[in-house]
Formats: sequence, structure tokens, C-alpha cells
Amino acid sequence: MNGFTRRAALRLGAIGGAMLLSAALLAPAQVLAQEDYPSRPINVVVPFATGGYNDRLARAFAPYLEKELGQPLVIVNQEGAGTQLGHTYALQQEPDGYTILCTSVSPYIPLSIFLQNAPYKLEDFAILNLPSRDYTMAATSADSEIESFAAAIEQLKADPSSLSIGVQPASADYANMMLTMKAAGIDASKLRIVTYDGGGPARNAAAGAQVDIAFVGGEGFLPLKDKIKPLAMYAETAPEWWPDAPTIGSTGIQQEFVDGSQRGWVVASAVKTENPEVYAKILAAVEKASKNPDAIKALELQELATTWYGPEASQQAFIDNAATMEKHQALLKGE
Amino acid sequence: MIDMDALMGAFGIMATSAGSWGWIVPGLIVGLVFSAIPGVSITMAMAIVLPMSLYMDFFSAIVFLTSVYTGAGFGGSVPAILMNIPGSPSSYATTFDGYAMSKKGQHNEALGYALFASTICGIFGYLLLLVVVEPLADIVLKIGPLEMFAVAIWGMLLIGSLGSKYISRGLFAAAFGLLLGGVGMNTAGFIRGTMGMPSLLDGISPIPAMIGLLASGQLLTLAGKDYIIEAEGSRTVSLSRILSGCWQTFRHPGVLVRGSVIGIVIGAVPGVGSSLGNLIAYAETKRTSKDPSSFGKGNPKGVIAAESAVASAEGGSMATMLALGIPGGGATAILLAAFMMHNIVPGPQFIETQKEMVYAIILNNIVQAIVLLFVGIGFIYVASNIVRVRTRYILPAILVIATMGTYAVEGSISGPITLFVFSLIGFLLVKFDYPVAAVVVGLLLGRMLETEFLRSYQLSGGDPTYLFERPGAMTIFGIMLFSMAMTAWGKRKQVLAEEAESAAMEALARQASVPEAEPGIKAGASGRH
Repeated sequence: MNGFTRRAALRLGAIGGAMLLSAALLAPAQVLAQEDYPSRPINVVVPFATGGYNDRLARAFAPYLEKELGQPLVIVNQEGAGTQLGHTYALQQEPDGYTILCTSVSPYIPLSIFLQNAPYKLEDFAILNLPSRDYTMAATSADSEIESFAAAIEQLKADPSSLSIGVQPASADYANMMLTMKAAGIDASKLRIVTYDGGGPARNAAAGAQVDIAFVGGEGFLPLKDKIKPLAMYAETAPEWWPDAPTIGSTGIQQEFVDGSQRGWVVASAVKTENPEVYAKILAAVEKASKNPDAIKALELQELATTWYGPEASQQAFIDNAATMEKHQALLKGE
Repeated sequence: MIDMDALMGAFGIMATSAGSWGWIVPGLIVGLVFSAIPGVSITMAMAIVLPMSLYMDFFSAIVFLTSVYTGAGFGGSVPAILMNIPGSPSSYATTFDGYAMSKKGQHNEALGYALFASTICGIFGYLLLLVVVEPLADIVLKIGPLEMFAVAIWGMLLIGSLGSKYISRGLFAAAFGLLLGGVGMNTAGFIRGTMGMPSLLDGISPIPAMIGLLASGQLLTLAGKDYIIEAEGSRTVSLSRILSGCWQTFRHPGVLVRGSVIGIVIGAVPGVGSSLGNLIAYAETKRTSKDPSSFGKGNPKGVIAAESAVASAEGGSMATMLALGIPGGGATAILLAAFMMHNIVPGPQFIETQKEMVYAIILNNIVQAIVLLFVGIGFIYVASNIVRVRTRYILPAILVIATMGTYAVEGSISGPITLFVFSLIGFLLVKFDYPVAAVVVGLLLGRMLETEFLRSYQLSGGDPTYLFERPGAMTIFGIMLFSMAMTAWGKRKQVLAEEAESAAMEALARQASVPEAEPGIKAGASGRH
């Protein structure tokens, strides 16, 4: 697939043109905007429906961020097209700091760019902080006969169609699963892969033994902990929310892998370049709110993350993960 | 199977949080009003009040949200009955007989039937839940793609029972609907029919499309009339007739029980929601009825069947949400979010450790349903005044509200555009005698049919004998075939009986025409008419 179609180019051109035009027209207004920012309520765009992780994170964190910014936050749910609609919407707004994103940068930004020709680039997003990380987990039902990940791989080596596999196509989980099969030398074309269009249905399928193994984000398994057996977590070290999960390294399989999700606070890069003072104010507010002991306590109760990694580390983690995904683009596309 | 200690504890929770009781009536009214507006879904009503509930304590918040949910379960049937425009996909089947009753001037009774059928079955559903909430969770997880596919096929059978003048056009319309349902990215990640528009990646949003298809034809029909109901004498709003409808509902216990069971089972399956239950319940009631030809012409049993499966489906989907932490549909997804925002994660652990809370929530829903019986009568009484308003005032109002509603669902212009495009399609379908209903059913079920068929294929590796490993799917297909065979048999008997009857009548007429007809018989016959 050609990553850069003519239409996308036109669209980018149009957006760029609009930005230049507005920058020229609004230049005096922006100087003013920078000085007394924020002087009106700020929109927090969540490119997911109400009730998802990002939505909960945005709503739980909002009171603390409001306190730092001194203006109310309005949560705007702009779901659809695998976050592409919400991300496009957020980038189309004036880069005046009145639009902040609370999103899953990975895997959705790279996925929408590589697979859906989304009209934006990785560099259009300036990451403030990514407190939440989720990892692909391979799991089977609690009463399954599969003893361990190594045993399952052995069985698949002998007959790739002996176990059914539930996974979301075109996802980080899919890439991780395919990398495992590659590392183990299993013919992926002979696998019985069952595709699900969401993490939830894939997890239900594992818990109800509809499929033998599901590869899906681990965090969502927490409420179903009793109904499943974790086989492998695609992380360097087991996260604090599932400390006894076997990591992929411990199962004896040597492979590259990508993080399942990286979620947190983002603004358009244009805010950073065109309104650096506004950007600094938002960044300072997010940092202060993230370190607020009340916020940490309140979010912990809801199993939401507030860890402060900072913009440099977060941006690096995002870029690294996106690079691994880009390297294995063919796998994501199922080619 | 009821844990008595926990049940007592549940009564304790309800008694001690007296403040929560005050939220029932406002919640019901919010739900009723929102869902009665075509284009505004239950999910949206709940999404709007969700942030409000954050400032309440946990039990009050849940009571408020579930009250909105309970109210919204019924509200959609009001425009369905009065204007032939379903407020939500779950009240689609209600239009078939509900509006036919309205046209006959029986709108008071029809609304009464709908309210009681919906509420009684809701209560029945929750009572059943109290007993089976735990085992249900395990059953739900055992439902695989092949079983879901069987259920979706069952829903498609409804098209056959709706009837159409031309079989070929009916099949064409159904296929067209199925294709529309498949637009977007499918479960295997393939993108079809989006014409490059990112907003179509998630498929055509069903609510604006459905309203566009159904409303355009309906509004044009109404535009030709002065009032919704033509006969001036029938344009009354009568409390006694509403109540008589309510009361008459109890004369059809079989329909109520069947509808509730279908509703609970289908509602409990994650991802199906209540939009399928009402179609299956209606089709089954019609198929097993002694006089199927009277359905669609204002048979109260049609209204009862459709509504009985709506509220009970809410119970089923609530059970899955509580027991597994899996939302059955959009509305329960928001309830789940509300739980999470109050630091409570539903799921197997929640049921085990907080059974009292689970029982308290179920019991409170029963209370809400009982309150809805009264609030609902008041709401119907006010809402039915629309039959006394001239259509020249109603139509523009509906158009504006529906357009705004579809805008609000997505928060973007794609909703109103979908509404407009599908209004045109609906207009053309009506003009050329294609059954709109077949397109709507195809659109609602197309995605599910494709997804589940594809997954069954992937799971089995294309081996058709996989069916024999799935006793659940075999049972569903078996019941379906049996029910169809019974219908065919019944129809045949009916046709034979009719033939015999007409032959007898002819013989009688021949006999009667020879000598003078006896005056007694004639008088008796005309007296009956």
C-alpha cells in the first residue's frame, strides 16, 4: 500500500494552508491569548466513547487539572474510525491551547497512519505525559488443558491448526502474536485465527473457551481474572497491576514486541511551536496535577494511572513503539 | 438459588439509602422523554446524565442511571405507536401493530398494552435474574459465534413473516439491507463500501439510517392528512381507555412469558442488545398465532409481543454487565462506566463479594418498573395529545428534532447526512413498492450475520461438521426448523379448512338459492355484522 495517497496529500495541504492563513490572521489575537491563557473553558478531546479507559482517565483527572489551569475542562467524546476522527478533529482546532487530547497514542496513532492513511503524521502530536501502559497478554480459559505458553507453542509447531487463536486484526496484539509465530518457526498461514473487532469480545471468547488462546490487552482481563489463565505478558517486567503474570521473556521465546497501549495527555505540536508559552503552561499544569497526592489517591482507587514520566521520556517511548510497529507494518496488515 | 442472607442485606441497603429513592421518578422521566424523541437513543440519554451522577453517592447514582435506562426502555414505543416512527431500534417491531391500532383510533389502548407489556415483562425479567444471575454468566460465555449466527438468522426470518406484495422485491430489499449493514471495516479488518469516508469506517450508524428509511415515507403519508388519525371522533385522549388497554394485557400471559424469555436470553448475549429480541418475539408470536393474518393490522398481541422483549432484554443485559463486567449494549456500557467511576468493577469477583449490592440493584429495578407503571400512564396521557395537533405543526417539529437528535448521537454532521441520504432511499423504496421493513431488518442484522458467520468459518477452518460439535447451535437451528415446519403445517391445514369451508358455503348457497332463504338465518347473520 502506498502510504501517502494524493488525497491525503491534498488534505494535509489544505490543513497546512488553513493553519498558515489562520496564523497570519490571528497573530495579534494570539499574543493576547498567550498572556492571559486560559481565559475560557478548555476542551479535552477523547477519541473514544464514554466509559472507555481514556474517558475515565480524562474525567477522573479533570478536577485536578482544572485546579492547576484555573478554568473548567469540557470532555468531548469524538469516537470513530479507530480514533482517526477524534485525532483529526483535535488537530483541526486552533493551536491556542484550548484543545487537549486524552488518548491512546499507541497503537492508534501509528495504526491509523499506516493502515488507514490518516491525514496526520506522528510528529503532529506533542506528547505531554503517558502514565498508562498496557501490554498484550496471551490467555486461555481457566479450565483449559493448555499448561503453559511453551506447551502451546510446541503444540502449534506440531500442527498449526490444532489451537484456535482469537485476536484483533491490525492491532499491536496481532503484531506481537505474529512475531511469536515467526520466532517459533510456525507457518502462520496455517493458523486458525479468529478475528474480533474489540478487546472485550476477544476476552469473552477466551474466558468462555470459544477460542483456545486469545492475544489481547491484559488490563481488561482484570475483572475476569478468575475465568482465565494468563500464559504470557508481552512486557519486559510484569506490571504492578498483574505482578505474577509470566512475561514473554520468561517463557523461553526470544522476540521483539510492541507495547499494547500507551495512554495519556497530548496536544498538537502546533501548540508547542506556535504558542510555546501556552504549551509550557499546559505542561506545568499536567505535571503538577499528576504529582498531586490527592489526584494520585483518587485515580489509584479507580485503577487509573498518574505516573509522571515527563514529555521527553513519553515522546521517546511513543516514537520507539511506533518505529517497531512501522518495521513490522506488513505483519499489521496481515500480509 | 437465592442467597437469603444477601437478600436481607439488599433490603438493608435499600432501606438505609433513603435518598436514592428520590432519584427514581426524575430518572424515569428523563428516560421517557429522551427515548420518545426519534433519533435520540437510550445510550445518549444516559451519556448525558452520566457526569451528573458522579456527584451522587454510589447507590443513588446507580438508581438514577438505571431509572433512566428503565424509562427509556418504554419511551421509544410512544412515537412508534402514535407516528409509526420508532424512537429506537428496540421499538421497531412495536410499529407493526401499534401504529395500525392508532390508525383505527385505538391509540389509547395500544399505549396501555405497550406500557404494561413492557413493564410487567421487565419485572418478570428481573425476578428471574434474582435467581439465575450467577449461572447466567457462565451460560453467556458459552455462547459462541455459531450460536449467535443462528440467532441472527432467526431474526432475519422476520422478513418472511412481514410479507410483501412481490417475493422478488422483498428478497432484493433484504439483500440490499444486508449489504448496507456490512459497510465499513469488518471484523477481519477489511474495509468495504466506505467510498473513502472515514466516518463510514465503523459502518452506517443504524439510528439515523433507520429513521431516515422509515420516517420519510411516513412523513410524506402524514403530510397528506390534516391529523394523524383521520376520524375526528377517534382523536380523543382517554385515561379509561389507556387503563383498559393496560388491564387487557393480562389476557395474554403466554405472549408475555414467551416475549420475556426471548428478551432475557437475547439481551444477555453481549453485543446484541435489545434491537433483535423484539423482532424475534414478534415473529414467533405471529407464527404461532391462530390468526397470523390479523397481525400488522392492529392486533394487540403484536404490540404486547414486541414490547415484552424490550424491557426484559434490559434485565438480561444488566445481568451480563454485573456478572461478567461485559456490557450487552451501549446503555450498559455507560452503566459500567458509572460503576468504574465509583471505583467498583463489576465481574465475577463483584458478584461473589458484593452479592447484597447486586441484589439491591436488581430489587431497585423491580421497584422502578412498578413506579413506571404509574409514571408511564401519566406520560402516555400527556404524549397522546399529539393526535389532537394538526400534522402541519407536528411534521416540521419532528423533522427538526430528528435532525438535531441524529446530530447529537455522533456529535457530527454525519448523522444528519445519513438521515437525509436514507430518507431519499426510503422514499424511492416506497415509491417502487419495495418493502422498507426488509431493508431495515437487513441493516440492523447485516453486521452481526457477517461477523458471526466469518468467525464460525475461522474457528472451524471451513469444516461444516463443526455444527455437530455445537449442541447449542444445533438446538437453535432445530427449534427454528420445527417452528417453521409447524407454521407450514398450520398454513396447509388452514388453507384446506378454508377450501372446505368455502366449498360448504357454496353448497349451502346453492341449496339456499333454490328455495327461498330462511329469514331466521339471514337476520342472525346480519345481526352479527
